[in-house]
Amino acid sequence: MMHTLNTRTVVVLLTPLLVLLLAFFLWPLGLVGWTSIYDNGLTFSGYERVASSTLIHRVMGNTLEVSVLATITSLVLGYAIAMHLARMSPRRRGPYLVMVMLPFWTSILVKSFAFTIVLGNAGVVNQFLDWLSGGAWHVEMMFNRVGVIVGMTNYLLPFMVLPILASLQNQNRNLHFAAEIMGAGPVRIFTKITLPLSLPGVFAGCLMCLTLSLGMYITPALLGGRQDMMLANLIDFYTRQTLDWTLASAIAIVLLVFSGLLILMMLRAQNNQEAVR
Amino acid sequence: MNARRRVDSRMWWLLVRTILAWIGYLFLLLPSLVIIPISFGGGKELTFPPTSFSLDLFRQFFNDPGWWGTAVQSTIVAVLTTLIALLVGLPATYAFARAKFRGSKLLELLAMSPMLVPVIVLGLGMYIHLAALQMVNTTFGVVMAHSVIVIPFMIVSVTSGLRHIDPSLETVALLMGASRFRIYMEVVLPQIRTSVIVGALFAFLISFDEIVVAYFITGPESTTLPVKMYSAIRWEISPVLAAVSTLLTILSLVVCLAIMALQPQESQST
Repeated sequence: MMHTLNTRTVVVLLTPLLVLLLAFFLWPLGLVGWTSIYDNGLTFSGYERVASSTLIHRVMGNTLEVSVLATITSLVLGYAIAMHLARMSPRRRGPYLVMVMLPFWTSILVKSFAFTIVLGNAGVVNQFLDWLSGGAWHVEMMFNRVGVIVGMTNYLLPFMVLPILASLQNQNRNLHFAAEIMGAGPVRIFTKITLPLSLPGVFAGCLMCLTLSLGMYITPALLGGRQDMMLANLIDFYTRQTLDWTLASAIAIVLLVFSGLLILMMLRAQNNQEAVR
Repeated sequence: MNARRRVDSRMWWLLVRTILAWIGYLFLLLPSLVIIPISFGGGKELTFPPTSFSLDLFRQFFNDPGWWGTAVQSTIVAVLTTLIALLVGLPATYAFARAKFRGSKLLELLAMSPMLVPVIVLGLGMYIHLAALQMVNTTFGVVMAHSVIVIPFMIVSVTSGLRHIDPSLETVALLMGASRFRIYMEVVLPQIRTSVIVGALFAFLISFDEIVVAYFITGPESTTLPVKMYSAIRWEISPVLAAVSTLLTILSLVVCLAIMALQPQESQST
């Protein structure tokens, strides 16, 4: 016998959640939508400026470029880590998983601050290069794209490792043994078996990382330069510096639509996968 | 000959994979590996590796009310957020798990969506909302915004706990005349204790570390530690930041280990 609750109990149990979400989630989001089209009267000036401003277009291009690059570097490193973890016994995996999970839980401010020390002009990396080359090598890594991508990759990696690890663990090891017995080399086994079978995890990880990077605010603000502004920084700029809430809201709605589309893709991919099973 | 080449290529492949994985681990840990030693170096300049050992920076942190005051504020916000997330999340997850009703899937998706919406958009919305209510720069505003942000994590954690327990125990209790509330407190809650604790730890840490929304809606009287830290990194890069970072890393490590220690027990019980 299934234990079910009657309607009245369900209503009582769900009311607090509904009130919270209505008052402090849906209402604020609705306000952003409303502000984007209303400024002492109905106006589309916000969206018109989004469509015509070269600054906003450039920032959109930046956002897309940085997001894609950070996702790719996360994919390469994340895949290697996931493969490494997948081959361990669950017992041994524990401490390695802590190495992946601790950064996941570390404040993004701590990480960004640490990277200002690691990447700065007199930072750890440049000191090392200095020592290695006797003062000849020097790389600018702060307040430019390198800094943003390094910082973002560090933030995104756990989100990439976990879904890939899950799909690697689901693979049937016998396929690998069979391929090996038939004479396939390790690279061939990887490209023909491991990689194709892990694509759902790769796909999920990439979409997750793209969604997260589109709305990234702290890392570009602290590690990037003026030319590395991303959409979130632009929203902040128009809200606080120029007090142009209409334009800020219009950009926010555009960002919301972009990430909404990515999330829809993610949900559909998951549904397809479940349908296949 | 052929076999030899295969062994060779396998060694190469293993080497490449392992090196890449270790670059990954090192890269993940790099921020903590650098910041923690530096914070014990003391002095006016941040140098790595530190040349001397001192607790000076920590002393500076605890002597400056501008710093530890914000830590107290963050603790208050995080505790209140966790309490609200429990009060709102526990009943809701129970309803989701034990009742089938029209729109329940949609409602669950709605409850999960704060995790999917870019925080900056939520921050802007909360800012406009609270400005209209004249409640920018209040603890209330931050706590409410954080409650929305942490609710998905609470729901995921508690739902996974509820999935592992047997509903027939609740039916038995009901047949024996226990009230719904008593059943929840005495039959359900003890069984899902670990997932509730995990959910609460998630909520506390996420709220304690949250910066984007807090930056939008706090002011001088309600500044949280991350907001203070953010402006300090932007405008002054004071050495105290290294001590703050170490303290925050220790907090994360404690919570992370606690969550990892609690979770396996749960999967064993299934």
